[in-house]
Amino acid sequence: MRGSEIVASITVRGLTKRYGNLTAVNNISFTVEAGEIFGMLGPNGAGKTTTVEILVGLRVADAGEIKVLGFNPTTEGRQLKSSIGVQLQMPALFPRLTVEEALKLNASFYPDPFPVEQVLEWVGLRELRRVLTYKLSGGQRQRLVVGMAMISNSQILFLDEPTTGLDPQARHNLWEIIQELQQMGKTIFLTTHYMEEAQHLCDRVAIIDHGSIIVLGTPQQLIGDHFQEKAIELSAVESDDETILQQLPGVTRVQKVDSQITLYSTEVEATLRELIQLEKEQQLTVAGLAIRQASLEDVFLKLTGRSIRP
Amino acid sequence: MKIFINLVVATLKDLARDRMAIFWFILFPILFIFLFGMIFSGGAGNVNFDLGIVVEEQGIFAETFIASLKQSEVFTIYQGSLDAELEALAGRRRNAVLALPQVQLGPQFSSGDQPSEVIVPVYYDASSQANKVPLFMLGEIFNHVERGIQNRPRIFAIDARPVQSEALSDIDYLLPGILAMALMQLGLFGSLRLVYLRERKVLKSLGATPLPRVQIVFSEIVIRLLMAAIQTSLIILIGHFVFDVQIVGSWWQVLATVLFGAFVFVSIGYMLVTFAKTEESGNGIIQVVQFPMMFLSGIFFQLEFLPPFLAPVVKAIPLTYLGDLLRSVLIGMPYAFGLATDLLVLGGWLIISLILTIRFWRWE
Repeated sequence: MRGSEIVASITVRGLTKRYGNLTAVNNISFTVEAGEIFGMLGPNGAGKTTTVEILVGLRVADAGEIKVLGFNPTTEGRQLKSSIGVQLQMPALFPRLTVEEALKLNASFYPDPFPVEQVLEWVGLRELRRVLTYKLSGGQRQRLVVGMAMISNSQILFLDEPTTGLDPQARHNLWEIIQELQQMGKTIFLTTHYMEEAQHLCDRVAIIDHGSIIVLGTPQQLIGDHFQEKAIELSAVESDDETILQQLPGVTRVQKVDSQITLYSTEVEATLRELIQLEKEQQLTVAGLAIRQASLEDVFLKLTGRSIRP
Repeated sequence: MKIFINLVVATLKDLARDRMAIFWFILFPILFIFLFGMIFSGGAGNVNFDLGIVVEEQGIFAETFIASLKQSEVFTIYQGSLDAELEALAGRRRNAVLALPQVQLGPQFSSGDQPSEVIVPVYYDASSQANKVPLFMLGEIFNHVERGIQNRPRIFAIDARPVQSEALSDIDYLLPGILAMALMQLGLFGSLRLVYLRERKVLKSLGATPLPRVQIVFSEIVIRLLMAAIQTSLIILIGHFVFDVQIVGSWWQVLATVLFGAFVFVSIGYMLVTFAKTEESGNGIIQVVQFPMMFLSGIFFQLEFLPPFLAPVVKAIPLTYLGDLLRSVLIGMPYAFGLATDLLVLGGWLIISLILTIRFWRWE
């Protein structure tokens, strides 16, 4: 890893992992450049965790060529592990160590860790430093395990759903820290099922479903490639004939998930005018309406026909 | 090595803060020894032993010896023929019968040659709790007498010949048993921690760090051995100072035996929980194993007490041999199986359980 030269931190080619009959990860390939925040976005069970666990050497792939910092995680796990920090999905800790002791223990495993104080500050656990880990709330535990990965001060940070269980405030704080780490030159590989997170935080996103990468690119690319339209969200729609929505002016797509209908329209004004007309004529009733830019969520919906929300 | 020490310290902290674990590992055996101690030690201070003496040939030695015994308030001396005294022993009118052999107080004692030992058979009824005590006391008296004759150690050796063996239930017998029980429980139940750490994915999380996973197991074992040493010290100190149990083994013999025993049961524990997916199921497996082991191994009563058809079971149980080993090392009871057998059986269990554990253990 020399200077500012852009080097691939992770290269994956044809990675496949099966559990019995189930193919958890199906022939995926991607590259993560040094210094980028790379996100793997997908619903639960899409294969994100399996991918992370293979990349950090906890599982063995059935097929594929994987290099992390030039190491093969399966055969060179020992060398690799001192250069990566890993946060796994289940917050697993010695129950009766304090927050500070847990961080110190993890720090002692790595050649050049961050100071404990710094990490306590980052994850907002300063006041809780003397609390035993089993007494922490879910969100506090989550912050601690993320901190335990960060303290490694390693070249690549693997974060498997780092913000799950965090309140919005804590989530935004963590995003800032992750960006700060990026500015320090770290590479971050994270998984998430939060659209906003991928959109806000990641330089590039791979959308994964049923073990396959559907699309890969910057969030802007992905949205721009699939939508020139804006999204009109309608809730609690009641109508005898929902196909009339398809005929509204400017509407290119109609997406229905439960009672929520999303119209993608190139001419929002015209669409709305006609929609209000329909309501006046009592052909349908709508309880709620919102207009927004298309997002990664819409991309996922378009590509899979399903909502990503678990 | 520094990482390993950090890990051991962290694990120690983690464990020491677990009050339930402390209760099981430290307080439980102590409660046991106090409980048994209260029940079985009796008022040792004003005990009187009825001692039968059979004199094969009257002489200056026999007279001196009996006279010195009579000075002791502990013994009431009876004299008679061997048959009569043994009958009295069977009828429980004697605690022990000592057959004083013919002793040549001659050149044997004064010459510089190595004198041959004079064997003094002592018959005792092993069914009664207190009867081993006079054996120790007699040994002391012989030492005393011996040194009075000549400043030379080890001329007499007591040849204990039990004529009856029922449940021997005194605190001397029980202390090594309690220690054996404590070591077994420490080893078996201690193994559950690794299952807990595996179930809670702590092992998996640590597996993603540069820490080699075997170090986790090593640190667990080191801590188990440390706890065994602490437990042993507590049990022995209480046994000695509260219940007056005399420990004959040197501290390093005791320590070596205890660490060996603890290691055997730690590895048996890991073997047992190898296939347990959860801490609960592991606990179930260990309960099923440790409960019969506790009562069929003869650590609390003598094996002859059990129905004969159980003999093969008893002889297969490793705790039987640890109890035997500890009784000998701690209080000087003669081996029931022999030192070599005890070590071989325990070592066999150790090796087999280690091999099976290493072969079948899963990290997740």
